[in-house]
Amino acid sequence: MNTLKTILSSACLLLNLVLSAQKKDSSADLPYSNKIEVSNETLEALFHSPENISMDLAPGFHLAGRLQNKSDHGTTVTSLLIKLDSKPGGTLTLSRYTDAKGNIYYAGHLLKLHEQDGLILIEKDQHYYFIETQQRFLVAE
Amino acid sequence: MKKYLLYIVPGLLMHISVSAQVPLLNSYSPATATVYLDFDGATVDGTIWNENGKIIAEASRLSPASITWIHKMVSDHFKLFNLNITTDPAVYERAPVHQRTRIIITTEGSWYGAVAGVSAIGSFVWGDDTPAWVFMHSLSDNPSFIAACATHQIGHTLGLQHQSLYDSYGIMITELSGGENNIFSNQAPLMGIPFYKQADWKDGHPSTGAGYLQSDTAVIAGAPNNIGYRKATSEADTPEKAVIVERQGPGSLELNSSGNYSFRLFDISGRLLTQGNLKTGYNEIRTSPASTGILVLQWSGEFVSGSQKIIN
Repeated sequence: MNTLKTILSSACLLLNLVLSAQKKDSSADLPYSNKIEVSNETLEALFHSPENISMDLAPGFHLAGRLQNKSDHGTTVTSLLIKLDSKPGGTLTLSRYTDAKGNIYYAGHLLKLHEQDGLILIEKDQHYYFIETQQRFLVAE
Repeated sequence: MKKYLLYIVPGLLMHISVSAQVPLLNSYSPATATVYLDFDGATVDGTIWNENGKIIAEASRLSPASITWIHKMVSDHFKLFNLNITTDPAVYERAPVHQRTRIIITTEGSWYGAVAGVSAIGSFVWGDDTPAWVFMHSLSDNPSFIAACATHQIGHTLGLQHQSLYDSYGIMITELSGGENNIFSNQAPLMGIPFYKQADWKDGHPSTGAGYLQSDTAVIAGAPNNIGYRKATSEADTPEKAVIVERQGPGSLELNSSGNYSFRLFDISGRLLTQGNLKTGYNEIRTSPASTGILVLQWSGEFVSGSQKIIN
């Protein structure tokens, strides 16, 4: 009886391992507790916003601030620097990159220097997320 | 009025000559990936550093000899990689936006805090020209410390975290390895405290945790930087072998050059003594017989440039 139990347990364990190995990465696998999905349209809208900005980037994630700088880098990258009222003293930097095929990518950071945590914008499976992370992994001395 | 002009005009000329004397150096011109060492001041806006508006960074006011020395030290740290360390802003402007970074070497950084330098991790590939910083006064204005700090900050922009020290339980002893006493080793990681020991890239545990391993060279060369390693060059193309001083005496230097290069010769205070072109083979450079002591010869060709100290 014990031998049968052992064999069945081993088979279950093996099956579980095989299924885990086949599982495709999904956005839910991102190893962060605080992540906020932001649509491409919302990110693009920031590049067409007036100087004073007040918009919801995602449900419960409101951005209010003032466009401090907009600059082009080469012919492919445009960057924004938004000074935040919704996080006093903080800034959102956002860059848009257009590749040779016309595909658009975004990158950015929302942080206040010397604070413990910040947000980094990352892309996974063509979805964008603001991820909360320790700022010492973003800015180093 | 004339009396004042006598003071003002030389002062202005001295200022202009100091600003104009940043030597234009390249460590490896074939590489498109570029790090620009910016010594002549900058105005920065639109980056994560600009929480409080524009930052106006003062020029370093380092002598050409010191700049050449710093460039050489930083270039040596990156000689494995397909990466050009330049002091030429035009080379930086031509580099791909996702493979370039600027290190602003300036007097002080009170806008940030009492640190020797600061950078954004991975900003080399951001494409938005976010610079990194080296604050000279925090490094006692010492060229060797400035060079080590510049390399450390470049490492951060290329995605490197600090190399840290952990105990056997995985508890961090110190975030910056290299400052500890170790009677068995006089080496320190460039991503730790690289100032007081022989510093180099390292495979070790980064500040993200004892469970991780960071191979500095693999991170620099690999994705997303995609720099890669430098192709092996012939011995004559290496900066150490390209120009060799054969004979020296008061008023003349006899050199053997492996190629056609432009050259400049400075005294230790940074005063330009002479400049011109070296042709392949034997060359003689004439200087004033009074030009003795430590001289710095810098030379630059299409694919390689370098410098060396000459004790005359």
